[in-house]
Amino acid sequence: MTDEPRVGVFVCSCGTNIGGVVNVPEVTEYARTIPHVAYAENNMYTCSEAGLTSIRQSIKKHNLNRVVVASCTPRTHEPLFRSACQEAKLNPYLFEMANIREHDSWVHPHEPQKATQKAKEIIRMAVARAVLLEPQTEPEVDVKEASLVIGAGVAGMTAALSMASQGFKVHLIEKEGEPGGITRKLHKLYPTLADATEVVDPMIKAVKSNRNIELSTSTTLKEAGGYVGNFKTVLTGPEGDRELTVGTIIVAPGSSNYTPPSGLYEYGVNDHVITQRELDHKLRKGEIGKPERVVMMQCVGARKGEIRPSDLEAFPKSDTAELLRRILKARKEEGWPYCSRICCMNAIKNAILIKEKSPKTDVVVLFGDLRVYKEYEDFYRRARDLEVRFIRHIEAVNPEVTQKDGKLQVLAYDALSGMEVTFPADWVVLSTPLIPSKDEIMLARMLKIPIAADGFLMEAHLKLRPVDTNVDGVFIAGTASGPKDVSESIISGEAAAARASILMGNRKVKTEAVTAVVNGDLCIGCGLCEEICPYGAPKVKEGTSEIREILCRGCGSCAAECPKQAITMRHYGDNQILAQVKALLDRGNLKEVAS
Amino acid sequence: MVENETLAHGNKSIEEFEPTIVAYCCNWCSYAGADLAGTSRFEHPSNVRIVRIMCTGRMDPTLVLEALRMGADAVLIAGCHPGDCHYQKGNFMMEKRYDYLKKAVQSIGIEPERVRLEWVSASEGGKWAALIREMTEEIRRLGPSPFTLKEIPKKADATIDAFKSQRLRWVVGRSQIKVEIEEQKYRQTVNAIMNTEVERHMILRALKEQGPLSAEDLARITGLNPNTTVKHLIALRKDGKINEAGEKDNQYLYGAA
Repeated sequence: MTDEPRVGVFVCSCGTNIGGVVNVPEVTEYARTIPHVAYAENNMYTCSEAGLTSIRQSIKKHNLNRVVVASCTPRTHEPLFRSACQEAKLNPYLFEMANIREHDSWVHPHEPQKATQKAKEIIRMAVARAVLLEPQTEPEVDVKEASLVIGAGVAGMTAALSMASQGFKVHLIEKEGEPGGITRKLHKLYPTLADATEVVDPMIKAVKSNRNIELSTSTTLKEAGGYVGNFKTVLTGPEGDRELTVGTIIVAPGSSNYTPPSGLYEYGVNDHVITQRELDHKLRKGEIGKPERVVMMQCVGARKGEIRPSDLEAFPKSDTAELLRRILKARKEEGWPYCSRICCMNAIKNAILIKEKSPKTDVVVLFGDLRVYKEYEDFYRRARDLEVRFIRHIEAVNPEVTQKDGKLQVLAYDALSGMEVTFPADWVVLSTPLIPSKDEIMLARMLKIPIAADGFLMEAHLKLRPVDTNVDGVFIAGTASGPKDVSESIISGEAAAARASILMGNRKVKTEAVTAVVNGDLCIGCGLCEEICPYGAPKVKEGTSEIREILCRGCGSCAAECPKQAITMRHYGDNQILAQVKALLDRGNLKEVAS
Repeated sequence: MVENETLAHGNKSIEEFEPTIVAYCCNWCSYAGADLAGTSRFEHPSNVRIVRIMCTGRMDPTLVLEALRMGADAVLIAGCHPGDCHYQKGNFMMEKRYDYLKKAVQSIGIEPERVRLEWVSASEGGKWAALIREMTEEIRRLGPSPFTLKEIPKKADATIDAFKSQRLRWVVGRSQIKVEIEEQKYRQTVNAIMNTEVERHMILRALKEQGPLSAEDLARITGLNPNTTVKHLIALRKDGKINEAGEKDNQYLYGAA
């Protein structure tokens, strides 16, 4: 851009959110004095239609070629302001935000002077960066109208059916010989107590008869490459390997169930100590009979311990699979730190099932916390009405299971009475959490999906993009991103399908503009970037590295390590970063004002 | 001597001293963590200015050193917890560099506490606020950065040069991937190369600014041991980075190539 930078600064009062602490008129007045600022104004709400209109009009009226909005966090509002710039024919990458709300007025409410000073500096930094910004374009790629769904459990089948019904070709693969996943093996589902097969069987039938779905059982993903719109995969199945190109991928491998280490609560020692899932199987087969007493224990292997940094630090740091293997091993002994969400309802369900068959059986549920949400509160009451006994034990003290003359005995500290209580038991049932599966870990590695500290696949955004991954075109369905029950798995399957369908329906997608660029004159073709990049974006050709933009996610690791500093990042160049620091520290007289 | 100056400087202004801390925050975790501190109204000192980057993997050590050189009293690098990186392993890469960076900062003669690497997730608004409180307090106690003092910049500039040099960047970069040598040994090698490069760049800087100079002049100006100085001169001459530039008082003079 050869034009002299003309920056417009829009300082938002955000009602009283900013204006109640920061002296906004003073800050706006100050903004006018910053080099290259051609125009500055104060808005009550810059994000309101009036504010956005003002941005659009000011760009034209004052011939602005850079815009800075000083308001809230770019993480929520940058897209809005960028599109306002775009509507006024200003490249959205010539926009910069100064966060004077979350990082200023909201955290310094009792220091208005300091907050005002900080706002000035934050704006000065943003202007300095804005001046050096360059227009960027988001490359557009074609999206193949076919999807690969990995895992034919309820989540995967739901996703497949949804996309197929919209006319997209779906390749559904399942590592087992039959579709249906875990649900196919379950007995009854809460809270309806319907047979699991009532849910799964029609779904399997629909999948098998759908012409748009190609179901391959005993098949797994062997290799994956390519990028959004054009993933090149290799599947391996009974008939050997075959290649498949798809536009989107939905990952639905499910999860595993935590198996307690042998000896924990006599598990593996006494065959009447079983997990909740094993109880489910036994109920299905009618193997429980009419016992005198069944004692259930909640949170076995869940909400225990924590992921220690040492777990993550002690081994080769680049190897995700190794990392997870280690975590899984450590967790086997100590349990997992999170709440698995489904176990309380599962215990209640099985307690009801036992009681309905055998009202005289004393069913005791020992818990530290019982989490029944939504309508499950009624489900819990139903169990209470059937005289299932829910006993809260002191959470810090785990119950003990012992054997006396071959008879099981559970000892717990009742939190209400503070007394020790002992229950002889015919069955001890351990409610164990859903945990990350090995399949999930392998897929994460192949598809380059980050894994969260709890071992599950990481969503692009926990709240705002719950089924997206950080890999464009790859979505998550089911329990691979965390414990879910059947209905939640179905919801996530529908959601993932909707997200994938948007891409395939548009047939085109814009990709990351913040990518690495190699200066061919400086590059010596050493290939370090090739080895460092987690996405395989750089490729040395004829002695010079080339970044395949479509693969680059813009993390900048290659730029930070390039021995010749030949790699720069679009939109995050060293100069653009350091300009902010320089603008901050080049205070001149301002420092005195601050103190 | 440097330490004394620092102390004197620090004591003098300890009451009114308000440090400026530059925080490089990754977009996905720590920037969001700082946002959450705001949303949750967790008050903390106003001494931090955040520079948003996409990933701590992007943090070239020179960006940290330059910030100190420009007058930041401290630099905080904040990213996702190990295992949580948006780009899989950018934070691990930063962690590797951080070991070297800390060593470098220390050898320049400033307190290593002025450069910190912390993991703050998007859900840790409270941790962010506590971290800023604690760090501001610590830097306030340390006093203004000695980077602004007389003796420091020479070595600081040379250190920045070293971190821009191909040789040091190459070995630091290689530490991100599997190398055949045992990690501890590799680390020692990198540290040794770092020291050498800093010393050579001190010589190069002196030659650029004041050359041509003799080995004796250079040893005096850089504070390096005369023998070391001569060794570096031989190496620099071999690399073609310096030239002989005549004689004076029976001593060879050298100039930057």
